Amino acid sequence: MNDPHSTPETSGAGIRFEHVDVTYPNGYRGLKNVNLQIAPGEMVAVVGLSGAGKSTLVRTINGLVPITSGQITVGEFGLHGLRGARLRQLRSEVGMVFQSFNLAKRTTVLNNVLMGRLHHTSAWRTLLAAWKKDDVELAMQALERVEIVQKAYANASELSGGQQQRVAIARALAQKPKVILADEPTASLDPPTSHVVMRDLQRINTELGITVVVNLHFLDLARRYGQRLVGLRSGEIVYDGQGADADESVFESIYGRSLTAEDVLPETTAELS
Amino acid sequence: MSVAGLGASRAGTLRRPSAGGPGTAGGSARPTKPRTGWKSLVALLVVAGITVWSAIAVGVDFGALIENANNASNTLIQLVQPDYSFFPQTVPALVETVQMAIIGTAVSVIIALPISFWASRATNPNSVALGIVRFVMNVVRSVPDLLYASLFVTVIGTGALSGVFALVLFNLGIMVKLISEALDGLDRGGQEASLATGATWFKANRQAMLPEVAPTYISQTIYVLELNIRASTVIGLVGAGGLGMLIDKVRTFYQYHYLSLIIFEILVIIVLLELLSSFARKRLIK
Ligand SMILES: Nc1ncnc2c1ncn2[C@@H]1O[C@H](COP(=O)(O)OP(=O)(O)OP(=O)(O)O)[C@@H](O)[C@H]1O
Ligand SMILES: [Mg+2]
Repeated sequence: MNDPHSTPETSGAGIRFEHVDVTYPNGYRGLKNVNLQIAPGEMVAVVGLSGAGKSTLVRTINGLVPITSGQITVGEFGLHGLRGARLRQLRSEVGMVFQSFNLAKRTTVLNNVLMGRLHHTSAWRTLLAAWKKDDVELAMQALERVEIVQKAYANASELSGGQQQRVAIARALAQKPKVILADEPTASLDPPTSHVVMRDLQRINTELGITVVVNLHFLDLARRYGQRLVGLRSGEIVYDGQGADADESVFESIYGRSLTAEDVLPETTAELS
Repeated sequence: MSVAGLGASRAGTLRRPSAGGPGTAGGSARPTKPRTGWKSLVALLVVAGITVWSAIAVGVDFGALIENANNASNTLIQLVQPDYSFFPQTVPALVETVQMAIIGTAVSVIIALPISFWASRATNPNSVALGIVRFVMNVVRSVPDLLYASLFVTVIGTGALSGVFALVLFNLGIMVKLISEALDGLDRGGQEASLATGATWFKANRQAMLPEVAPTYISQTIYVLELNIRASTVIGLVGAGGLGMLIDKVRTFYQYHYLSLIIFEILVIIVLLELLSSFARKRLIK
């Protein structure tokens, strides 16, 4: 069971939120009665103002933020009260991409991608950095998929922001995940690089069938890359539907004002598509 | 699931927020400034009070310093004229001092590494274990090196072995404090990502925190080695081997020419180590 290669090629898992509440230790209610159903292999974009609860929402899916009440189901796992080895098992099936990349800067790109194999690696092997050949191969393949394999032995700190984020995506891929969560993966990147990263995520979704939930600040990116759009406001879902259908009134309900030029990414897509 | 009719004709559904509605996100009332100013003032007064009290209690007496000046100048003149012919006789003690420092440093930094991860809030989520190890390390650190040396000389006997034991405990206190604090200050992004992949804390710390703290660990090791050259001379005074024992001998016979040579030798070693460490640091932080 610990051998990742005995399982068939990954495909997505479904995610279901039922009456989910999150109350932070300081009493702040991060999520209020959230109900949401995401089908296996779907790509969903979550949008909302800063502080609306986007990060809270995705972080509940891998248990980084514990839920106070309600239930989240990811594949066969129920998140409420999930702890210890079972929680780690769930996390091994859910990849995460962070806004600030979250790489260990003073080690190699390959070592960062191998983090995705930690769950399947014994403590002794981890301590001695005695990685299995298969795991190194898997990490290399993940790097190839995001087209950055030539940097495998470079230090993570030597990479540009866009390259670092692609390493982070490779790390998530090395987990052979059923779900990938991305929390504003493009917020630290310039517009052209943002599109590269978003297209990587989209490709992973369509080619591998991995379920993708991505938080985005820019509405146009969300519309373009998410089949489905979920609007959050003050911890509540205020819109749930097709990105293409989200019009001015939807925008107002999410952002509390009408659309301005600042809400869209500057147009740089011509040469990329 | 409450679905409002705002977007009834579309495939997408607008849901009505349950309470508050627009404008309640975040809130706009200014928070009152937490009143912490008086705490700094109290702390300042306490520190000032303790300083004055210490000065009075110790009896800082500048008059006596001037009276003794004559006496001291004689000694000082001898001290600035080291007797180099004494050098061959210092070599065994010199070598022993360096050996003590190297062994003491090596043993202590190896033990200190896992304890540091145990003692840092950033790498140990168990606050009970954290409290215990921090308390023990505070006790270990609060004992001065000279006291450790006296203790081991009493238990094991005079010689370099006692010195090494004393140095190990002395270093452990310093090293664990420096490294665990370095860990506290690290960027924890890689660790968070590792934990999110389903790794245990041990694996996440090994894979994401160890590489980040490694340069600090190496440069602090060199720093501790420097400290140990100095410390091993001092603890020698109570019989724990090395140059210190030699210093004790020549001092008893008022051989200040010899003493100054020994001090000069210590100085040379420290400067050499300093050069080595700055060179190593430059290589590490590129
Ligand atoms: N650990 C915490 N303790 C207390 N409150 C928190 C904590 N984390 C987040 N919050 C609060 O919960 C609310 C939602 O935060 P969240 O980070 O989910 O927002 P977001 O939509 O991701 O915003 P952004 O676009 O700025 O990242 C915010 O008001 C925030 O202050
Ligand atoms: Mg956020």
